[in-house]
Amino acid sequence: MSTAIINADDDHLEPTLQSILDQRSLRWIFVGGKGGVGKTTTSCSLAIQLAKVRRSVLLISTDPAHNLSDAFSQKFGKEARLIDGFENLSAMEIDPNGSIQDLLAGQGENEGAGDMGGVGGMMQDLAFAIPGIDEAMSFAEVLKQVKSLSYETIIFDTAPTGHTLRFLQFPSVLEKALAKVSQLSSQYGPLLNGFLGSNGTLPNGQNLNEMMEKLETLRATISEVNTQFKDERLTTFVCVCIPEFLSLYETERMIQELASYGIDTHSIVVNQLLFPKPGSDCEQCTARRKMQKKYLDQIEELYDEFNVVKMPLLVEEVRGKERLEKFSEMLVKPFVPPQ
Amino acid sequence: MPSLLVIIFAVELVVQLVNTIGAATINNLLWRIALSLPIPLSAEFAEQRKKQKEYLAVRRDLNATSSQDEFAKWARLRRQHDKLLEDLEKRKKDLDGSKTKFDRTLTSVRVVATRGVQWFLPFWYSREPMFWLPYGWFPYYVEWFASFPRAPLGSVSIVVWQWACTGVLALAIETVMAVLGLFVAARQKQQEKAKVKQAVPASAKAEGSKAEAK
Repeated sequence: MSTAIINADDDHLEPTLQSILDQRSLRWIFVGGKGGVGKTTTSCSLAIQLAKVRRSVLLISTDPAHNLSDAFSQKFGKEARLIDGFENLSAMEIDPNGSIQDLLAGQGENEGAGDMGGVGGMMQDLAFAIPGIDEAMSFAEVLKQVKSLSYETIIFDTAPTGHTLRFLQFPSVLEKALAKVSQLSSQYGPLLNGFLGSNGTLPNGQNLNEMMEKLETLRATISEVNTQFKDERLTTFVCVCIPEFLSLYETERMIQELASYGIDTHSIVVNQLLFPKPGSDCEQCTARRKMQKKYLDQIEELYDEFNVVKMPLLVEEVRGKERLEKFSEMLVKPFVPPQ
Repeated sequence: MPSLLVIIFAVELVVQLVNTIGAATINNLLWRIALSLPIPLSAEFAEQRKKQKEYLAVRRDLNATSSQDEFAKWARLRRQHDKLLEDLEKRKKDLDGSKTKFDRTLTSVRVVATRGVQWFLPFWYSREPMFWLPYGWFPYYVEWFASFPRAPLGSVSIVVWQWACTGVLALAIETVMAVLGLFVAARQKQQEKAKVKQAVPASAKAEGSKAEAK
């Protein structure tokens, strides 16, 4: 009964992530989905498969509850570190909230004011005023770091909460606003400086020119992040879901949202599929299998332009290099359920 | 060109009519007429109507489809729904904008054609006599007032003519409105009476006629 599901129709795209492995131009790969559907497992498996065909691969977790360390049973930090047993696969864990704190703190020190005065205070206000800007800035920061490291492909294991790529929605607005502010400041800067004194200090101890420079660099980095992420040759998004209603619903919403941002996505990984042995008398398994089959059919029907990869639910936890490697095989070779 | 006398009268008539009917009513009427004409704007409006209908149909389908049982169909409808909604909102914004523009243009044209002319003509022709009063019929102060402010003495100035027109027209319109009001009130009363007659039960009516016969 299961083979009918696995044998995709001829007009469907192949049910593997081979297309991502073959697309050499891909630089950024995002793996996202609802919490608990197996994003980390999928991103680790994809990283393992990619490492076989690329010169160097970096796996970055932006999830505050870091699971990479768990998956590989190895501690990772803010610096990229080679994963044990691989020569070209590294991993790092960044905290989107932490990195903005670092950013702000760094600025505070540069100003010589430990209490978040100066530009740091201004940036802090900005971070709270515009939703998603902290993420944008942390992404910009990561991109800057990663660029200097020259990895061929970077895989992001994104956080399930909120929308990681939310900031891609507002840059045009932000860019316009910042451009306006910059223009105003260049026009009226001299006038303002006349009021403010020779070094352009604002009443609350902030420097106008420096603030403008900061905003300008921020705008530049955000627009660069945007152009990179919206280029389908450079970036793709892999949606991970499980065949259940809520997960499917979220996936559909995410796909629509990604489309509205202009981010390419053409792969869906359906995880945790049950394949009970024929003649199995496990009541829950067969009932659940029936429900999963229903949603699987719906997925096949709805996403006929996607690579829909079906991954089985294993009896053991997918942890450690060997198990992940075995699991990752199924991303490129469709899983054949036991007869 | 018709005589100034007639022009002034016509302008005052228009002003009075606009005041009585109401500028907004006239704007709306013209807007509706514009929409019924075969111009791009009315085509756009028809399109909007069609889209609205389509949207409502999709929404009905969406509500009738179970998202759990037919997820694929539901999601497709949902996409269509979202797309239509976005499109509709954009169109609505555009159409509202064109309506505002239409109103603004109409208002400015009306102001120029009534208030502007109303002020401009007396200013421009202030020295010109509209017509001459018969010589020696009126005392000096009447002649002086009739030629106010700058027309030659013994004539009627354009300003005074305008005042006269305004006064007469206001009176006439008031009279017409009062008469119309009377008519409407009378008709309402009649209708009410008819209703009361209908409402009176047959037995009460019979008793009344009996009492009358006595």
